[in-house]
Amino acid sequence: MRAFLACIRKEGLELLRSGRLLILLLIFVFLGILSPATAKITPWLLETMADSLAGSGITVHAVNITALDSWMQFFKNIPLGLIAFILLESGIFTGEYQSGTLILSLTKGLDRRTVLLSKAVMLCALWTLCYWLCFGITYAYSAIYWDNAVARHLLLSAVCWWLFGLWVTALTVFFSAVAKNGTAVLAGTGVCVLVSVMLGMLPKLKAYLPSFLTDGYSLVSGFAAPREFLPAALITLALGILALAFSFPVFSKRQL
Amino acid sequence: MDMLRITGLKKRFGDKEVLRGLELSVPEHSIFGLIGRNGAGKTTTMKTVLGLLKADAGEIAVAGEKVSYGQTGTNRHIGYLPDVPEFYPCMNAPEYLAFCGEITGMSRSDIRARGDELLKLVGLEGEKHRIRGFSRGMKQRLGIAQALLNRPKLLICDEPTSALDPVGRRELLEILKAARGETTVIFSTHILADVERICTDVAFLENGKAELQGPLEDIRARYRRDEYLLEVENEADLPRLLQAFPALEPAGENLLRLRGKEQAVFEVLGFVTERRIPLLKMERTEPTLETLFMEVVGK
Ligand SMILES: Nc1ncnc2c1ncn2[C@@H]1O[C@H](COP(=O)(O)OP(=O)(O)OP(=O)(O)O)[C@@H](O)[C@H]1O
Ligand SMILES: [Mg+2]
Repeated sequence: MRAFLACIRKEGLELLRSGRLLILLLIFVFLGILSPATAKITPWLLETMADSLAGSGITVHAVNITALDSWMQFFKNIPLGLIAFILLESGIFTGEYQSGTLILSLTKGLDRRTVLLSKAVMLCALWTLCYWLCFGITYAYSAIYWDNAVARHLLLSAVCWWLFGLWVTALTVFFSAVAKNGTAVLAGTGVCVLVSVMLGMLPKLKAYLPSFLTDGYSLVSGFAAPREFLPAALITLALGILALAFSFPVFSKRQL
Repeated sequence: MDMLRITGLKKRFGDKEVLRGLELSVPEHSIFGLIGRNGAGKTTTMKTVLGLLKADAGEIAVAGEKVSYGQTGTNRHIGYLPDVPEFYPCMNAPEYLAFCGEITGMSRSDIRARGDELLKLVGLEGEKHRIRGFSRGMKQRLGIAQALLNRPKLLICDEPTSALDPVGRRELLEILKAARGETTVIFSTHILADVERICTDVAFLENGKAELQGPLEDIRARYRRDEYLLEVENEADLPRLLQAFPALEPAGENLLRLRGKEQAVFEVLGFVTERRIPLLKMERTEPTLETLFMEVVGK
C-alpha cells in the first residue's frame, strides 16, 4: 500500500513538473468554454453573413439557440480532448521502458503489479478530472445563457461519454504494457477505436459497441432512450476491465 | 554460505549464445570482480540475476532464495547500480532517494537519516537541482547512493567507475571497500587496476562461461610461475651472471629473469654473495591480472 501511494505521488509529481497537467487542464478548460461560445456566436455569425448569403439566394431565418446547441458542440469537441489526453499520456509507460527508469524501481523489489495499477489509476483519475472539468464549464455557461432543462438525460449522456473515455484509457494501459514505444501505443489504441467505429456502421451491431456511447446528442435531444444505451455501457465496462485485467500478466512477463 | 549462486545459466539472443552454462558462486562478504571483454555477457548475467531477463536454462539463488523471471521478491536483498543509471528527471536527489525508500518499505525517519548520510558519502549533499541536469558522473554517484539505501545484502554494480573522474573513482572504490563489512559486492569492470585494488574474488567471463574464478590470492598462487626478477646495481655485473647461470636471461636494464625452482635462487644468491655483487632486489614475479586476462582470452 505504501509502495502504491509512493508511486501515485511520483506520477503526480511528474505530471505536475513536466507541465503535462497544466497543458491538459488548459485544453479541457478551452474546450469547455468553446462549446457554449460557438453556440452563442452562431446567430451573430449568421446575421453578419446574411447579406452576402441573401445575394446568393439563401435567406436566413432568425435562429433560435438553446442549450441543446451548446451540448451538440460539446459532444463534437470532447473527442479532441480525448485525443489530446491519449497523445500526451501515451508515453507514461513506454517512456520509462526507453529511459530505463523503471528497471531501477523494479530492482528495489517494487512489484510490477503496483507499477501498473498506480499508472492505470492515475490515468483514469486524470481523465475523470479533465472530462468533468470540461463538462462543468459547459454546464455552467449553458445554464447562464440558456436553460439546461431542455437537455434530457444530460448527466446520463455525459456519463456514457466518460465511460467511453475510460475504455480508451484502459486500451492505452493495455497497449502500454505490450508495446515498446508511444507510437505503437497510439496505433494500437487507435485501431481498436477505429474497429469499434467501423463495426458501428453495421446497424445490427451498432448498439453493442463502445463507440455507441459517444452519441450523447441523441440522448440529450430526445432521439434515443436511456434504455438503448445500457448494452453498450455494460459491454464497454466489461471490455475496459478485461483490457486492464489482461495488462497485468502481460506486463509481468514483458522483457525490459 | 554463497550470497549468489548461479548454476548452468544459459541465455541466447536470437542465434547468439551469450551465456553457455555459466557457473558462478559469490561468497558472502566478498568483493567479487566480474571481468570480461565487451559483449562477454556481464550485463546480461546481472540482469538475469535481477529477474529482468529470462534465462533459457539454469538456476540462480540470491541469499539461498531462487530467482524467477518477472518476480521481484529476491530483489529486496539486492542493491543495483546499472551501467547507465537513469532516474526520474523531474525529481531531485533527496526526493528520488525518498521514493526509493518508500517503495522498499523503510521508515520515514530512516529514509531521511540514511538518505542524508548517503548523499554526503557520494558527495551530492546540498544538491538541490533536478536530476534532469545531472552529469553522467553525478548520476553514477546518485546510483551508488540509491543502491546502498536499504542496506542490501548483495550489491551489484555494472561498471561503477566508468563515468567517474580519477578522484571520484578512488572515492567509489573506497565506498565499495567499506561496504564489504555489511554486504557482498559484485562489480563488473574493464579496469583491471580497480580489481587488483579492492577485489577479494574474481571471475573471468569468456565464451559464455566463467573461465577462471575464485579468490584472487588462490588464482594468483595457481598461476604463479617459478619466475624471479633480479636487479643488480652495476650493469657491468650482468655478463658474469649470465655466463654462470644458463637459466638467467636479460629482462631489461640491469634486470635479469630467473626461471627455476627455489634451489636455483639459492645458487644465484650464493654466487652473488661470494663475488660481492651489489644487488638492488631479488623478487618473485606475481602474475598480473592483465597477463591472466590475456591468457584466458587467448591472446
Ligand atoms: N536485448 C538484447 N537483444 C539482443 N542482443 C543482446 C541484448 N542484450 C545483450 N545482447 C547481446 O549480448 C551480448 C552480451 O551483452 P552484455 O551487455 O551482457 O555484454 P557486457 O559484458 O556487459 O559488455 P560491456 O562490457 O560492453 O558492457 C552482446 O553481444 C549483445 O549484443
Ligand atoms: Mg555491460
